[in-house]
Amino acid sequence: MTDAAAAAPSEAPAQKGGSWIFEAENVVKRFGGIRAVNGASMSVREGSITALIGPNGAGKTTFFNLITGFYKPDQGRTTYMGEPITGEAPYRIARKGMVRTFQITKALEGMPVLDNMMLAAHDQPGEKLRNAVFRPAASRRREREVRKQADDLLEIFNLTKLRDSYAGTLSGGQRKLLELARALMTRPRFLLLDEPMAGINPTLGRQLLDHMQSLRRDAGVTFLFIEHDMEVVMNHSDRVIVMAEGRVIAEGEPQEVRSDQKVIDAYLGGSA
Amino acid sequence: MTDPFTMVGVSLEAFTSIGFWTGVGIIAGTYTIFALGLQLNVGYTGIFNFGQAGFMAVGAYSMAILVTETGIDFWLSLPLAIAITMLFGLLVALPAVRLRTDYLAIATIAAAEAVRLFALNATDLTGGAQGLFGFDDSWDEVSDTIEGWLESLGWSNPENLFPLFLVVWVVALILTAIMWRIQKTPWGRVMRAVREDEDAARALGKNAFAYKLQSLVIAAAFGAIAGFFLALNLRFVIPDEFLPIFTFLGYAVLVLGGLANYWGVAVGSIVFWTILEGLRFIDLPVSEVKISAIRFMLVGLALILLMAFRPQGMFGKKEEMVLGD
Amino acid sequence: MEAGALAQSEDLSPFERWREAMRDRPALVTLGFVGLVGVLLIVFEGLQAVADTALTGLSTGSIYALGAVGLTLVYGILKLVNFAHGDFLTFGAYMAYILSGSEQLGVPLVVGILFAMAMTALLGVALEKGMWAPMRRRGAGMLQLLLMSIGLALVIRYAIQYIWGTELRQLDVNDTATVDFLGLSIGRIFLVVIVVGFVVLIATGLMLRFTTLGKRMRALSDNLELAETSGINTSRVILWTWILAGGFAGLAGVLLGATTQLQPEMGFELLLPIFAVVVLGGIGDAFGALTAGILLGVVIEWSTLVVDERWKTAIGFVVLILVLIIRPQGIFGKARAI
Repeated sequence: MTDAAAAAPSEAPAQKGGSWIFEAENVVKRFGGIRAVNGASMSVREGSITALIGPNGAGKTTFFNLITGFYKPDQGRTTYMGEPITGEAPYRIARKGMVRTFQITKALEGMPVLDNMMLAAHDQPGEKLRNAVFRPAASRRREREVRKQADDLLEIFNLTKLRDSYAGTLSGGQRKLLELARALMTRPRFLLLDEPMAGINPTLGRQLLDHMQSLRRDAGVTFLFIEHDMEVVMNHSDRVIVMAEGRVIAEGEPQEVRSDQKVIDAYLGGSA
Repeated sequence: MTDPFTMVGVSLEAFTSIGFWTGVGIIAGTYTIFALGLQLNVGYTGIFNFGQAGFMAVGAYSMAILVTETGIDFWLSLPLAIAITMLFGLLVALPAVRLRTDYLAIATIAAAEAVRLFALNATDLTGGAQGLFGFDDSWDEVSDTIEGWLESLGWSNPENLFPLFLVVWVVALILTAIMWRIQKTPWGRVMRAVREDEDAARALGKNAFAYKLQSLVIAAAFGAIAGFFLALNLRFVIPDEFLPIFTFLGYAVLVLGGLANYWGVAVGSIVFWTILEGLRFIDLPVSEVKISAIRFMLVGLALILLMAFRPQGMFGKKEEMVLGD
Repeated sequence: MEAGALAQSEDLSPFERWREAMRDRPALVTLGFVGLVGVLLIVFEGLQAVADTALTGLSTGSIYALGAVGLTLVYGILKLVNFAHGDFLTFGAYMAYILSGSEQLGVPLVVGILFAMAMTALLGVALEKGMWAPMRRRGAGMLQLLLMSIGLALVIRYAIQYIWGTELRQLDVNDTATVDFLGLSIGRIFLVVIVVGFVVLIATGLMLRFTTLGKRMRALSDNLELAETSGINTSRVILWTWILAGGFAGLAGVLLGATTQLQPEMGFELLLPIFAVVVLGGIGDAFGALTAGILLGVVIEWSTLVVDERWKTAIGFVVLILVLIIRPQGIFGKARAI
């Protein structure tokens, strides 16, 4: 079973290289007197792999939190697939196919790996109490499908032998894989990864990048990832967006951005 | 050669009395139902509901008020009282579940105390400190029927409270089975995910807020049912029965049985109450008040020792525990 | 240089601007609100009644404040919700009773107070060394510690009941003498409580603000990890925190016993109002607890002018619930994500 089939978004993707799947316009977030995000605007093309980089404190993770609903923006607008999602609750945004992972993995430690996976699937009637009680057959049917999808994904990510272990017993690298596999259970259209390469060994990292490429190629999944490893950014992204001090200071192809003076200044220029 | 019981001075006669075991059984059954709600909250949702005694009060008082002051049939008053309690639970939950874990504990205990103080002071409605009574005539009829049935089985002079004991435990076991079953459903899985990490659950499309609400509202229903049995056992409903100590003892039962295990609640309750009630019969030459003080000191000590040395209790699963976070 | 710039006011409407200003000055808003309530009460109930109840309120409030300062420091620094704190008050009261109780040893109350404070501080330290520190070392979680504190509360309360029973006892104070003060007549004992309370609270405030220990306590309360890495000897500060918490609780207990009576439940009955004060003032904020305690005491006593006396305790809960709904970080707490 290919990555694509197990994780494909449930509807066919639009023309590759076509529309904007996501747009942010002048997003602002204040904490006390400080503007952590200070008017950030960006657009992401469907089917692209975009890297979001910038020095520490640039507001990248805050921006992620804002656009996925974990923080409410004080100003600005965000649009996903043409629909406004500003201020939407995070679970609603996730259900629309815009799914994020976390910088520090959030493996649900007190649950087995399989449960972690099965949890993530969408459209599970059994998750509503009235269905679990009054429509057990429909619930059980979907459980079987979900279990199969979970097992397939676990196999792709080589986690099958850990299927029944509590997620708390997994190593750091295994948790990263689990987090990604789990996100794929949701059949996302737009996957936002917060430092996916952090803390994992190069071999594993290359596997992850290969997965990303094949998902984009075969299933049209769009990626936006925050990353510090420049080698990854240069060689594996179509486009790079650079943030500093809460706003976007540059964007373009990796080569262009690397030689942009503003970007060099931002990294060297002592913004903490 | 003296046996350990004589040395410690516990009167053994009590343990052979059917009356004793029936009494213990009723309390243990009531606390089982009470703590099942806590188990859902603490063991499976990760919210520290310290207001369960308040839900018990709302349930018991609603039933008593409906029966004695509006003349509604007792059996009809029960589902109505449960509904009222669940509505109250929702009102408390809406602001409370947004709070951080420790704030939620304080908020829920405050809500419970507010209920108790209201019951104490709103004398016209609730009878104040004297409370309410006279709601159990319908139950008495059923109880007599059951006694008759027991007699027909050969028990010549059935223990007066035995029918209540039977009904409490039938209900407790049914409710335990129900909770155990629904925990295995996808709904139960989302609930556990909320316990583990709310934000992760949200990032996967789950409405954590709604699940926490449901958890508290269901616990409120269980509190109400426990309240009914408390009221039937005592034959009256007074504010002093709903002091925070009730919730604390409920937690003692919960952690003794072990978190994240529904069947353990019943076992924990039986063990706890057998010992606690059994200790009444310590044969020491001290006053009642002192013996009572010793009993509660031992409960406190047990809580401390459990948390220090065996936080998972009897049947809790260490991996799933909310405790060491 | 746009990051770090303060919020531009031109993008907020006048209403929003006012709301932001209010949010940034919670102390002012609260004092203004309380002042407004006071004025309204004077208009409707007369100055005498308001002043009388205000004085009683200051007395109650001092007790709340003393109880709350210790609780908030322990809560803020150790993240421990100490359900046994109320019973520390009871412990202090009964320690004073040993020396200065009516028909006891006849020791003057001053000595009794000092004894009570010392003993309760000792209790706090012993428990820290014997129970809390070991549990922290083992990585115990919040619920574990909370339940242990509940167990501890039961042990203390019922040990007191074992020794002294449930009948009401009195401290040997003259509780009928009155003092005339600015044209008002107030029970002398209340005045004593106010004076003692205020002296201790002001001294505490000064200590927290100006001494090294006080600054360290506030640093730990703000951010324990940061304080640890900056070389502060955290276990010593924690020890002193318990000494203070215990001492104040003991003092609060004696003052409570002096103005009411002694029975084993006395401290626990105050625990929730004290929690209300802690939340109101902002968890970990000793100044907040100080101020909120006094304010709450006064507001609760004023409420008796408007509603029947028996609803007095309920007011504390209403305030707590309202604060938790509207502004969980308390009046003085920073707007952290709760």
